[in-house]
Amino acid sequence: MDSRIPLRGWVEVGQYGGLSMADSPVSINSPGASNEASAGPSPQEQKQMEQAYAQMKRKMAMEEIGRKIKHKIMVLSGKGGVGKSTVSTGLALSLAQQGHSVGILDIDITGPNVPKMMGLDGRRLHVENKRIHPAQGHLGVKVISMAFLLEDEDTPVVWRGPIKLGAIQQFIGDVEWGELDYLVIDFPPGTSDEPLTVAQSLPDIDGMVIVTTPQQVALLDSRKSITFSESLKVPVLGIVENMSGFTVNGTTSPGTEVSIAAPGGKTLSAKADGEGNFSVTLDIFKEGGGKDTAEEFGVPFLGALPFDPGFVRGGDDGVHRIVSEPEGPSALAFANVVAAIQDQLSDGTDGGLEII
Amino acid sequence: MSETLPNLKKLERRPQDMVLTYDNDSEFTVSYDDLRHACPCAKCSPMRNEDDTSRNLRRQIEALPAEKPAVRTVGKYALAFDWQQGCSSGIYRFERIYDLANRRDPDRGKPYVHGAW
Repeated sequence: MDSRIPLRGWVEVGQYGGLSMADSPVSINSPGASNEASAGPSPQEQKQMEQAYAQMKRKMAMEEIGRKIKHKIMVLSGKGGVGKSTVSTGLALSLAQQGHSVGILDIDITGPNVPKMMGLDGRRLHVENKRIHPAQGHLGVKVISMAFLLEDEDTPVVWRGPIKLGAIQQFIGDVEWGELDYLVIDFPPGTSDEPLTVAQSLPDIDGMVIVTTPQQVALLDSRKSITFSESLKVPVLGIVENMSGFTVNGTTSPGTEVSIAAPGGKTLSAKADGEGNFSVTLDIFKEGGGKDTAEEFGVPFLGALPFDPGFVRGGDDGVHRIVSEPEGPSALAFANVVAAIQDQLSDGTDGGLEII
Repeated sequence: MSETLPNLKKLERRPQDMVLTYDNDSEFTVSYDDLRHACPCAKCSPMRNEDDTSRNLRRQIEALPAEKPAVRTVGKYALAFDWQQGCSSGIYRFERIYDLANRRDPDRGKPYVHGAW
């Protein structure tokens, strides 16, 4: 008799029988099922079963992804507008420059702009066998973003929490990332649903990088992110200070002393070199705030990234600064931050700690 | 942060406490109850702000069955302790562990406020 398998029995088949998409939960025969079950599930039960099936498949996929991706790094900030997406793409590209296979997951559902920065504006995602295949940007970095699903970039995404949660889980579980050395996950600002969902869904996250700018307001919010990390049980890899200082270059007569009026009533001095070149760095916001916060909280300071208008141009043009000027000061600053992150990602046994 | 921190070389887990050996040959014992009472997570920390809630936290910890935690390193700056029961959320920076080893207040007298100290 063709009988429907109740949810419990079906899950067991999945666990021990190697369930595949072809094994529709409603078509599995159960020789041992009782006559009472022959009436089959109601449409509502059937829908629940299908949802549970999809959920289980996704969970299995997430575990698989966890194994295939060596390092998973969350990029967060307490405050908006600190350059989180710029830092995420910069880290991904800098890692790719080192020859690593890298992916970026843009979880910022309401304001996804990683594709634009990666030169993937207007792209659509490729779906094959119910698996989403990421787009490939500069240096082969794989990108998944909500932006790929929007009809046009002016359409806002107005979703309540549970729908957002489902979309994030789909972005994690249904994407065919392949083998990756690093997955950089870019979040919207704040300490809300998104990082919580990712931290609970994706196994073995290495840690979070907190992006801040030097001013007090951003630093206060960064502190929230640090305490948030402790609630999530995800370690803080460190703090990156973005928009740290703006370097002004100029030329004058060789050996001339140059004075420049800087913010905060300061005067900066520089002496032109033998060829008449000089440079001074203006701390537009403040100096060393990110480092101070890192010291206060005892988390590593990963480095400072310069205030570089090239990031804005690059973001708009879809050619990141690291791609357009791979040997430039910004690319070098990113390389230093990446080195500091990689230092944190080592298992900590380098110091020779013996745990008995 | 200004004090030079010696490197933790060995952590020996015993039934009720752990023995910490540093590279300057100093050796300390920290009980698991003290360690758990000093949990830096956002749930446990606010409980240490008030004497009553702090004592309550301590009582809750002491009521837990004795167990050896699983210990793992977090980057190069902290340790995390996984317990079968009770809170395992805290990420203990080496500075914090060293404070505990030296019987110093690891919160340095600062009350915890969510989001900022």
